[in-house]
Amino acid sequence: MKSVSLNAFPRVQARRSGVKKLRNNGRIPAVIYGRQQEPQNLEIDAKDMENLVHHSVSENVLVDLAVQDDKRPKRLALVQQVQHHALSGEMLHVDFHEVAENEKVKIMVPVETTGEATGVKNGGGVLEHVLFKVQVRALPKDLPEVLTLDVTHLEIGQAIHIGDIKPPAGVEILGDKHISVIAVAAPISEAQEAAEAAAAEGATAEVEMIKEKKEEGAEAPAAGAKGAEKTPAAKAGEKPAAAEKGAEKKAEKKK
Amino acid sequence: MPARVKYRKMHRGSRSGMASRGMSVAFGEYGLQSLERCWLDTKQIEAARVAVTRFMKRRGKVWIRIFPDKSFTKKPLETRMGKGKGPLESWVAVIRPANVLIEVDGVTEAVARESLRLAATKLPIKTKFISRHKLG
Repeated sequence: MKSVSLNAFPRVQARRSGVKKLRNNGRIPAVIYGRQQEPQNLEIDAKDMENLVHHSVSENVLVDLAVQDDKRPKRLALVQQVQHHALSGEMLHVDFHEVAENEKVKIMVPVETTGEATGVKNGGGVLEHVLFKVQVRALPKDLPEVLTLDVTHLEIGQAIHIGDIKPPAGVEILGDKHISVIAVAAPISEAQEAAEAAAAEGATAEVEMIKEKKEEGAEAPAAGAKGAEKTPAAKAGEKPAAAEKGAEKKAEKKK
Repeated sequence: MPARVKYRKMHRGSRSGMASRGMSVAFGEYGLQSLERCWLDTKQIEAARVAVTRFMKRRGKVWIRIFPDKSFTKKPLETRMGKGKGPLESWVAVIRPANVLIEVDGVTEAVARESLRLAATKLPIKTKFISRHKLG
């Protein structure tokens, strides 16, 4: 990955109101951090950053950051994260990860496909991206912007796994080798579609209630039944005694 | 609607603010993003799903990213106020701006655009087509 130069300025404003003013003035708040250095708040020109991102294949960009009034003329950094507004897509904040030229770094690299899979072309299958990004480890200069996979040989039911990807020189692909990255799934049959529709229709049925006291409730009738079993006998046993007591009381009152 | 619930009737809750999750295309290549807030009921979601699958003609894959897990009640007509909360009317999904509603993959951009446009006509809110790679 070739590094691109970018100008940055030290930032004093850190609160929301200050950052909003920055954005209104065509700047983007940013931060740079790394293993060797203390984190520093920066601001960069929004147009410069947009040009940088739009002219690169992915958001993984290696930049030579020239921070105003800094001791070092160039600071090598990776664009670690770009925060966008959810609706407008406007850039809100940029994270720069300062890296050393001779130290390996780990980044997520997007996976792209070339060609049309045989299973899709002839069998009507669906090409599925199971993983959109793969983690790689390499020196900053060796980092790929994107991993391109040829899928022309894939039949229905076949997949490309992490272990099958041939990494570029100096790059190590991380992760379980058995995890599939790209797969070709069988097309949806009419029966499946009908089953889906039926399931959607069936979903209008009554909703079941989760009752925490279900077990207690289930025990209660049983207990009641036991009680019912016991009570007549008990009552049968008690009744004569109670009747005797009552008769005694009546006799005492008469006296 | 959910298969099992702990409590049948719910509070109405708040629909304010932007979506804080489910805002990006996570499974497919293209998606339909809401620009407004609403309650989408089961019928509307199902109508949108049918519109997408009919146009795509069993090609590609569709993900419905929303689920109607909120119940709402309504008093019967010509009923005096009081006498408790009304009976269950329907189930809805709470939609806030930026929620991704439907995603598709395995089709060309033109097919995805048209299928999601048809789905959008079934919904009571403004939406926009988004792609994994490009915003807007």
